[in-house]
Amino acid sequence: MMDELLADFVAETREMLEASGGELVAWEADPSDRARLDTIFRFVHTVKGNCGFFDFPRLEKLSHAAEDALADCRADRRVPDSHLVSAVLAIIDRIGDMTDAIEEGVEFPEGGDEALIAALSPDFIASSPASAVASLPGAKPARKGAVQRSIRLPTELLDEVMKGVSDMVLARNDLARRLREAGEQPGIDGPFDRLSAILADVRNAITRMRMQRLEHLFGTLPRLVRDLSTELGKQVMVDFEGGEVELDREMVEMVRDPLTHIIRNALDHGLEGPGERIKSGKREIGLLKFSARQSGNQITLVVTDDGRGIDTDRLAEKALAAGLFTQAELDAMSERRQQALIFEPGLTTAEAVSAVSGRGVGMDVVRANIERVGGSIDVASKRGEGTSFYLKLPLTLSIIAALTVGSGGQTYAIPRSYVEEIVFGSSDNLEFAEAGDTTLVTFRGKRVPCLSLAAVLGSEDCEEQVDWRDKTLVLIRLASEDVFALAVDRVFDHEDVVVKPIAPAVMETGLYAGTTLLDDGSPMMLLDLPSIAQQHQLVSEVRNAARAVEEAPVEPRKTCPIMLFTGLDGRRRAVRLELVRRIDTIPASAIDIEGARAQAVIDERIFTLAGHQYGPVPDGKCRLLRLSDGKSEIAYLVQDVLDAAAMDGDVIPSPSDPSIEGVTLIGEHPVPVIDAHALFATPRPDAADSEPLTCRLPTDSDWARTILQPLVEAAGYRIADDAMTEADVAITLAEADAAPVGPARRLIRLRPEPDDEAGPPDSIYRYDRDALLAALRQARTGETA
Amino acid sequence: MNDLLLLCVIAGRRAAIPAVHVKSVIEIDTITPIPGVPPFIRGLTALRSQALTVIDCSVALGFEPQEKTPDQRAAVVEVDGHPYALLVEEACDVGEARSQPTAVPGGFGPGWQAVAQGLVETDTGPTLLLDIERLVTVPVAATA
Repeated sequence: MMDELLADFVAETREMLEASGGELVAWEADPSDRARLDTIFRFVHTVKGNCGFFDFPRLEKLSHAAEDALADCRADRRVPDSHLVSAVLAIIDRIGDMTDAIEEGVEFPEGGDEALIAALSPDFIASSPASAVASLPGAKPARKGAVQRSIRLPTELLDEVMKGVSDMVLARNDLARRLREAGEQPGIDGPFDRLSAILADVRNAITRMRMQRLEHLFGTLPRLVRDLSTELGKQVMVDFEGGEVELDREMVEMVRDPLTHIIRNALDHGLEGPGERIKSGKREIGLLKFSARQSGNQITLVVTDDGRGIDTDRLAEKALAAGLFTQAELDAMSERRQQALIFEPGLTTAEAVSAVSGRGVGMDVVRANIERVGGSIDVASKRGEGTSFYLKLPLTLSIIAALTVGSGGQTYAIPRSYVEEIVFGSSDNLEFAEAGDTTLVTFRGKRVPCLSLAAVLGSEDCEEQVDWRDKTLVLIRLASEDVFALAVDRVFDHEDVVVKPIAPAVMETGLYAGTTLLDDGSPMMLLDLPSIAQQHQLVSEVRNAARAVEEAPVEPRKTCPIMLFTGLDGRRRAVRLELVRRIDTIPASAIDIEGARAQAVIDERIFTLAGHQYGPVPDGKCRLLRLSDGKSEIAYLVQDVLDAAAMDGDVIPSPSDPSIEGVTLIGEHPVPVIDAHALFATPRPDAADSEPLTCRLPTDSDWARTILQPLVEAAGYRIADDAMTEADVAITLAEADAAPVGPARRLIRLRPEPDDEAGPPDSIYRYDRDALLAALRQARTGETA
Repeated sequence: MNDLLLLCVIAGRRAAIPAVHVKSVIEIDTITPIPGVPPFIRGLTALRSQALTVIDCSVALGFEPQEKTPDQRAAVVEVDGHPYALLVEEACDVGEARSQPTAVPGGFGPGWQAVAQGLVETDTGPTLLLDIERLVTVPVAATA
């Protein structure tokens, strides 16, 4: 995993080095060339970001220094001259050399960095930086073979392979069915199981092949921002976070346009000009920040500006003028709902239609496009402080999480992103009412319209009275906040389905968004809920209903989000969702269980393992939940992650089983909720802190490095490697004249002799393991208390 | 002009589909109906990992739906990237067209006229050559 990332890093850095080679030369010829400056700035900025991720302190320091100097130039605080150009070039050369060393896995010769960094300083007049480079110890070693090779492939070929694999899965399923019918056949079952496992792996790999890092998308944005901001006479800085998050290639392409539009909007309407910014006490340069994060099967992409925020008053005026809402309706809206008005068709906040945005394409189109790919968009804004757009995107276009439901003897799929809740019609919490021909259901104080899927599809006689109590209601919340209940005969399961487009003649009905094949090979239709809602005029009606709730909420019941999973014993369990940091899949080889100690290695970190007591650790890949109490993390081994759900009932305590908090009802099934308190309370000496404390060791002692360092690290400390920032603990050796090794909050002294008198007071004998660990522990609890 | 044709029988009449468009001829046993669609779409059927939209040619031409028989034959074609299974009464043979498609004075009757390219001569006699693109879309236009 790490090797792969590292190879990516090396490949990317080298690619950028090659690409920026020409730019460097051009910049050298004309240091005032702004575009070149930006390219080179981006390069060092990216290197810096990546270094932080990989913990290459030297590379980071170098690129950081270069970035600072270049940032000064970009902000016109400094005029680039040939001195600076040479100094930056020297640093970039050094970055290239270091990258080579990283690739080959060899140590880069120490020293020389400071001279290079010093050369960046505007007052630097000493010998040219070239000499600093020349004086480096150790010549650049010859390049050995590359770590990872890559080739380019057309996506059609990937799609073809993926289709082939899907076919293989279906053929396998068919074969599995026949084998089951034929009864047990030991000679065949073994190889067949192996085939299945291989197929699963191949399918996984193919899916990964289609993934692309968001960086590729991010990489194109600074230029766009730069061009637009120049056009608008604004100064904008771009910041990226989470470029390593991966997304389906196609999805990356699908979000490009909406994202571009959001950027245009932010630059045009959100960020103020330099004058206005200074007047309101902000930095002259506006900030546009992109951050991406993966959670489960979803990517959250946040675009934030620190501009003037959304002017809801003006939005409301426009909505009124456009006749979309009445004054009373607008008055009743919360601030947040008013902000969401920017997604209404035909509203744009710009005073005048400018060249950059507001050319007919509104945020409504952005929303429609995002929803079309199964995502959602939301906005949050604070007047005078800025605006954030939250884009939620499914990981892939073609695979979506779906809920399968039955109606009229057939199975249909509903995109899970729309499903808010599932309730049985027979539940006492429900109240049905007729309003004309419309049936309304009151649930938790909300009155929402009810649609019978059978009636919607026309597969049942609409005239006939629907017996709602017999149905299962799926509460649907569209991205537009419209809510309705869809009555189905039964709810089957959660499934990840591969969605294929449907014939235009079927599309025409407006009922279906695609088709997919079930595991047994039979086709199933994916329902197009927004379109169905539209056809039944639910989109506006519901808005009224939703607003009514805003005015008079009927004592909402408290719900608590939980995550459902099956343990290794195949039993369903739940954990409170706040505890789940992420879901990981690791190879079984990364799990180490010995006696009472159970650990898992994830991304080169060791985690305490839980949940393994319920059954044997599966071969091959293991799914696990990474639970965090905010301080430490535990890896909880599961068989399968099922779904997030809302726990609205009480948790009934179950004193006989200390590992669970109690049992709650989810969809009328009892589900044990694991007791996080007990889980984290179990003494775990090896629990890795989410943010480890740092410890500074004497740098000039071999003993400290080879013998002390592993012990300190095993105690959960990270070794502080930069001399400037304050470490949490420092360890000094008494014989080394007790000179402080660097700033630290706490000091532990070690003496070379076992008996007290020889060393300074309250020092610890260097081989007194227990005392040393106790001191480190004390430092930790002192910190955390 | 000796294009290959898939000769079949639709609503009791001889018809032909250009063989270049036909990927295969399959037997269909199960069709998953799609509620809410025009009647000429019978539903979906699975062919390997593909879901084919099953078109009842008989209905598309304005006749009664085809009787359900245990070994219904269908020609698999692709139009605009979408796979279809064209349900026919009988898929006879592949033969050569002996002439260009020609119009017949007075037309072929309203249903046929909409989707026929013309009349072609084959070794087994005159046959109506169907335009599959119109076959899978024209009825939609008609009902819309």
